[in-house]
Amino acid sequence: MSKFQKFKQSQIFGLLILILIAFAFWAIFKTLAPQTFGDFNRLKTYLKTALIYAVGGCGLYFICVMGPFDMSVGANIVLSSVLAVNMSNRFGYVGLLIAPMISGVLVGLLNGLVYIKLRISSLIVTAGLSLVYEALSIYATNEKNVILGSAYRAFGDYPWNLILALFAFFLCGFILKYTKIGTYTYAIGSNEVVAKNMGVNVDKYKVVAFVLCGLFVGIESILTISYGTSMTSESNLASMARNFPPLMGTFFGLAFKKYGHPVVAIVIGEFIIQLLFQGFVALGAPTTVQNIVTGVVLLAIVTMTIKPIKGEVVK
Amino acid sequence: MSEVLLHAEKIDKNFGVTHAIDHVTLDFYKGEIHALIGENGSGKSTFTSCLTGIYHKDTGKFTLNGREVNARNQVDGNYQGVAIIVQEIGTLSGLSVAENIFLGKEDEFTKCGVKNTNAMNKKAQELLDSYGFGYIKAGNLIDKYNFEDRKLIEIVKATHFKPQILVVDETTTALGEKGRKELFKVMKETKDDGRCVIFISHDLDEVIEQSDSISVLRDGVYIDTVKSSEVTTDDLKKLMVGREMSNNYYRTDYGEKVSDEVVLKGEHLTVPGEIKDFNIELHKGEIIGIGGLSECGMHEVGKALFGASYYREGSVTLSDGTRINDIKTAIDHSIAYASKDRDNESLVINDTIQDNICLPSIEDLKKNHILFGKDQKAFAEKFAKQMSTKMEGVHQFMSALSGGNKQKVVLARWIGKDSDIVILDSPTRGIDVKVKADIYQMMDTMRKNGKSIIMISEEISELLGMADRIIIMKNGRQSGEFKRSEDLKDTDLIANMV
Repeated sequence: MSKFQKFKQSQIFGLLILILIAFAFWAIFKTLAPQTFGDFNRLKTYLKTALIYAVGGCGLYFICVMGPFDMSVGANIVLSSVLAVNMSNRFGYVGLLIAPMISGVLVGLLNGLVYIKLRISSLIVTAGLSLVYEALSIYATNEKNVILGSAYRAFGDYPWNLILALFAFFLCGFILKYTKIGTYTYAIGSNEVVAKNMGVNVDKYKVVAFVLCGLFVGIESILTISYGTSMTSESNLASMARNFPPLMGTFFGLAFKKYGHPVVAIVIGEFIIQLLFQGFVALGAPTTVQNIVTGVVLLAIVTMTIKPIKGEVVK
Repeated sequence: MSEVLLHAEKIDKNFGVTHAIDHVTLDFYKGEIHALIGENGSGKSTFTSCLTGIYHKDTGKFTLNGREVNARNQVDGNYQGVAIIVQEIGTLSGLSVAENIFLGKEDEFTKCGVKNTNAMNKKAQELLDSYGFGYIKAGNLIDKYNFEDRKLIEIVKATHFKPQILVVDETTTALGEKGRKELFKVMKETKDDGRCVIFISHDLDEVIEQSDSISVLRDGVYIDTVKSSEVTTDDLKKLMVGREMSNNYYRTDYGEKVSDEVVLKGEHLTVPGEIKDFNIELHKGEIIGIGGLSECGMHEVGKALFGASYYREGSVTLSDGTRINDIKTAIDHSIAYASKDRDNESLVINDTIQDNICLPSIEDLKKNHILFGKDQKAFAEKFAKQMSTKMEGVHQFMSALSGGNKQKVVLARWIGKDSDIVILDSPTRGIDVKVKADIYQMMDTMRKNGKSIIMISEEISELLGMADRIIIMKNGRQSGEFKRSEDLKDTDLIANMV
């Protein structure tokens, strides 16, 4: 193998691609809208949003690598955020931090248990349970808008949002690399039958993946409510729209998995998506155009990165 | 006779109505390589799978060194002293080499829930080095290594802890020369160490050469155990099948004139990295054999002729001038192809025998644009029976069939389609002698009926026995061509392969 081929498979190469893509989008929009896009302060704002979604993306990564899917992320964010506000009113920061994490974990646990017990598609299970979580959020708010007290908004801005997000990223990277949960996550995703034959308790680790996803979505909820400061309960699966921003980061993580640093890919990926969104906002493009271009660019980047073998079966 | 190491007492296993193993009682001794042979579906793999924890036996008892073995899974089996190397790939993509070697045994490197990756990599590298596979790096993702290297990693994974019983299940068919050599070395070391190898293979010469004793299973029932030094392959065939098997299951005709009519012509076929400038003319009623070492490119030739190769250059033309550039055109013009990779490329494994046989003939089975279930059933039954497929019925799922019977379904499908040109890649791979004889008989009948066959094979005797013409390949190119002759020897072919 030549030195270049080796370099192409290295972690640094993957990182360079991500940085180059981010830089390219920044340069394009900066040229087109120099006054309204991409100065240092704005970049910090873009990053602030990207950090929120990236935390949820880390959680979804555990599930998506294995093969299932979680459509209840949005409902989980709504429910956990509402509980965070309620508990912060009673227990201050302790309530703000602990309540959404516990709520997220319980939602993940329920998702995982129902999924393995009913043995039906994770899409159906989590979409169905989303209705339940949305209903619970309505009970918790009495159908009113809840607002986080101004005394408890530290995680909505630097440095505490960054500290909490970094904690989540290190935790995710650590679990993936330095615990057997990480090994089994990849093993089940690669070949469930072989993993089972090797003594891996597949059902147990699928539940663990859902629980971890719930935990990270719980952390995302802390950042979401702290940044946005208010939350309204939702119904009729209106929370679904919240599933997709973290999922975009997960796509980047999956695409760059082969370079060995999915968490970094999730974070930079979310930042790239934010650059795109904010770039179009700066240009005054309609939302429909923003969505079309963002979707196309996302597909293009992931396709170029994965480069499936011609004829390979992709499901 | 040395001491009994493993005693199997009345092992019994059913899959639905199929009685896979019928109260098998068998002893395995210290310091021996004990072969287990039998036709496809005879229960060999099921027996060893019950021992190693892949399946759970219904009744019976395995006793190893006086202690009962009851493995819940492969890793549990490892801890109880038994290990298995399987036929198909048993490593997992997305994990490192070290993670694959120690999958399920992470606790050995974990303290307070934290896995010591460095220690695991170091230990794995030491093991790889000790086996002479130092070029494989423990910390690398396993995806970086080819099939053969991944098999070598599996050997390390299954044997590094010195299991008392090592099961080698049909592994040799998946290995090249280098891999086989390494595997036989490990088997010999296991034997010399006073432990035992259970060796499963359909290659009877290999079985006699490598083993000390041979046990035969037939339809899940234990038949006999013989000493390898005291039997011939014919004796074994008789034990396996239950009657005398003629040694001449190949064609016996020589000097028959082949028709001048060219039915398929491949010119300057090139597939980057696989084959280069390959040319072929197939005549009506002719069997062309294509042989060579496993990686010589011959398997790609079948795909290229069927329009299934990507980036193919050159042309494939039928006698009427039709160009074959894609699979649909090939099937529409009566070309059939059976891939070497039966489970992944030939069969819809999670579907029934009926659907698999009917698949390419759906259009022909329609009546006024409507497909009737009873027509499909009758069609599938007719051709499954014609191929003597062992099954409960055509409603049975493919995954429940043995390798040989799966291959029969593949062939039944194309006989049903009544294809004029049939490309068979490794048609008898992993198949027992009786099914082999059936397949050769079918090919001979097809030839006599004017069908043309391209048979790609790694078995020299098969090429010599069945083909009118043999093309040998080396490094992606044609390196020799031979006409059918009684005087043609395997050494003539081998000389052009290496």
